[in-house]
Amino acid sequence: MSLTRRILAAAIAVVMLCSLGAAASAETAKPETITFFIDTVFGSMMLDSTFQPVVDAFKEATGITIKFIKPDHSVYYDQLNLAFASGDIPDLMEIGSTNYPTYAANGALWDMTETWENSALRASGVVTDENYVNALKIDGKLYGFPLAMGNGTITYVRQDWLDKLGLAVPSDYDGFVEMLRAFTEDDPDGNGIADTFGITAPGLINGETPYDIYLREFYQDAKPDVYQKEDGLWVDGMQEPQMIEALYRLRDVYQKGYMDVEVITNNTSAAREKFYAGQTGTFNYWAGNWNVTIENNTTKNFPDAVVKPIPPVGGIYIERPPLALAISNACEHPQAVFEYLLSYAYDGAEGQTLFTRGVEGINYVKEGDAYKQLPDPENTEKLFEKVIASPDLVYTSWIDPIKLDDRLLSSKAMFMENRRFDPVPPASQVWIENISEVIPIRKEAIALAVTDENVTPEQAIADYVSQTQPFIDAILAERNAD
Amino acid sequence: MTTAQPAKRTVYRAAKLWKFRYHYLMFLPVFAATFLFFYLPMGGIRFAFFRYTPFQPPSWVGWANFEKLLFQRPAFWTAFNNTLVLSLTNLALSMICSVVLSLLINEIKSRFLKRAMQTIVYLPHFLSWVVVASVFYIILSPGNNPATSGLVNAFLMRFGLVGKPIFFLADSKWWTPVYLFINRWKETGWGTVIFLATLTSISPDLYEAAQIDGAGRWRQCLNVTIPAMMNTFVVVLILNLSKVMNLFESVLVLQNDRVLRATEVLQTYVYHQGIVAQSAEYGYPTAVGLFRSVVACALVVICNTVSKKVNGRGII
Repeated sequence: MSLTRRILAAAIAVVMLCSLGAAASAETAKPETITFFIDTVFGSMMLDSTFQPVVDAFKEATGITIKFIKPDHSVYYDQLNLAFASGDIPDLMEIGSTNYPTYAANGALWDMTETWENSALRASGVVTDENYVNALKIDGKLYGFPLAMGNGTITYVRQDWLDKLGLAVPSDYDGFVEMLRAFTEDDPDGNGIADTFGITAPGLINGETPYDIYLREFYQDAKPDVYQKEDGLWVDGMQEPQMIEALYRLRDVYQKGYMDVEVITNNTSAAREKFYAGQTGTFNYWAGNWNVTIENNTTKNFPDAVVKPIPPVGGIYIERPPLALAISNACEHPQAVFEYLLSYAYDGAEGQTLFTRGVEGINYVKEGDAYKQLPDPENTEKLFEKVIASPDLVYTSWIDPIKLDDRLLSSKAMFMENRRFDPVPPASQVWIENISEVIPIRKEAIALAVTDENVTPEQAIADYVSQTQPFIDAILAERNAD
Repeated sequence: MTTAQPAKRTVYRAAKLWKFRYHYLMFLPVFAATFLFFYLPMGGIRFAFFRYTPFQPPSWVGWANFEKLLFQRPAFWTAFNNTLVLSLTNLALSMICSVVLSLLINEIKSRFLKRAMQTIVYLPHFLSWVVVASVFYIILSPGNNPATSGLVNAFLMRFGLVGKPIFFLADSKWWTPVYLFINRWKETGWGTVIFLATLTSISPDLYEAAQIDGAGRWRQCLNVTIPAMMNTFVVVLILNLSKVMNLFESVLVLQNDRVLRATEVLQTYVYHQGIVAQSAEYGYPTAVGLFRSVVACALVVICNTVSKKVNGRGII
């Protein structure tokens, strides 16, 4: 870190702490403990001993003890719901964009709009991209603070396969399909056996919003969800003409055998494994850190493999709404949680270093002029990745003391140049009750339109409409009532 | 005389209670566990009559959740029909296959081979459904090309029995037969445990008498073995009938987007509505669950009544 940047960071930290302290002493009582329900925070960490250094450092800085509660990822929302049902409600919680509107609509979350608008954090200008904060607003109200950038998926291809086949990175849809054909029919791995296919994915439609985050080359401008158009009108994207076109694109590559025939039974790990195993040369997955993981796992099996992210073909990548850090309505000191914890964790200086990289000497160390990560306390074969937010998904002016992998940065840069935000889905009783009936029928319609040679996209959509119309009508009537 | 009798009976009961005090003491943990884990949670049934989210106090809605499932949700009836068809077919196959396999195992004369066979057929029962589903997904995989096809499709293609691979688990025509087959592969062996125990308890005198009367193996089976198994058969049938509406894990792990409506059963419907939908509204899924339990209970009572009328035997 250069001297100027350090001075700047220190100055911001001093300003933040002074204003934070002044505001806090004037208006808010400092809580002794903050209970914090976490899911992806700390990665897969489960042990208190991993949390403790961060807890100690935060207590030293603010005098407040954080009590982290980390259920297993697979039952995170069951446990969070249970905490609410039993009255043992956490002060602060991490919530994904699918659940966030439901919690907000049920009055479970504290409205932090005014606090954010008037906060020292906002006034300091540390939050350099307020789009992420605004992305979490529901009807103009903010119920959660963005944990990190939302991030999204990007298409990775085997560059070494393209080179062997004498193909360039595709720049349009026809070129993309030609690449998939060559990956399927022209023996890109050169083993003399027809054992590869063009592309795989974890399903034809994502299990949560954004539903069309994978297979972007095929969905393009089609949206398999009820969504709000630019003119403000809510529509069912499944019934728009561009959805039929998207389904024909998907059907075409599936029926020709260029797409993984098992795409509808794949989960994310199955799809990843097929890419690592050299069965396919195209795979759409998370940008950033995953670029490094995908390349490392592929080169373990094929040392000459080169994995490259490519710009979007025929459309644009999608950035999902960020994960939210929400304060519960049952919290005794919501203002203080915002001011002492959130403002500190995103202060662009030492607080953010603590809540991103961890504790110096335990999670990272300075060697000469450079900082480097130390091994993960729970898995010493890996380096410690993060506390709250991934260092590559920062939306403040914070400067990471540790240099990130170039592959990660280039993949992230490509994503950022070619992405649009996906909004937080709406939430109301009508929406919640009806959309759960629509989703399975929608999934089945897409699967049939693409994989069943006896069902055309038009027939699949007609069947979908006949099954879902009352539910869709109820949703649209409410959404378009204003 | 009339007042002395109840007092005498009370003393007798107290004495009996004291005499078997250690038996009751041993029974206590079982009673407590049953009460805690089976009866106490039944209090949750009341939420079928409420709108209930974890975030707000439950609000009374009366029969609204039941009206919704009966009259406004076609997906419920699809799941209900699928549950009955899958469960009852599975039950019938289960009874037939288990009895036939028990009779076959019982015919093995070598004690060692008999034990070995029993162990082999019991083993699949102890595999989790997730493992079983993964194994069958691999075996039945259509693959994009012959090199990546599963065992079954590779065989069918190799011998020209099909023109192109069949995606067994993603084709609604094939899904149900394959599901029933996988169930039989996993559970038939375990289903023989009670029948084999019954077979070993049949008096050899009956077979000797039948032999003296000139009965061959087939006649002995028809006139001795099967009648001796009828009591057990009825008990196992009624006990299994009480579980027919409980299909869940086996269906969930074999479901996929293309066969969702053909495979949705009541338990997976409750799971999708209550957990996956992330609506955090538990009143409606509870109503579906209660409806399912009432139907299961009715099936058991009907079967028990019919059995009593026909055979003079039941379990209740």
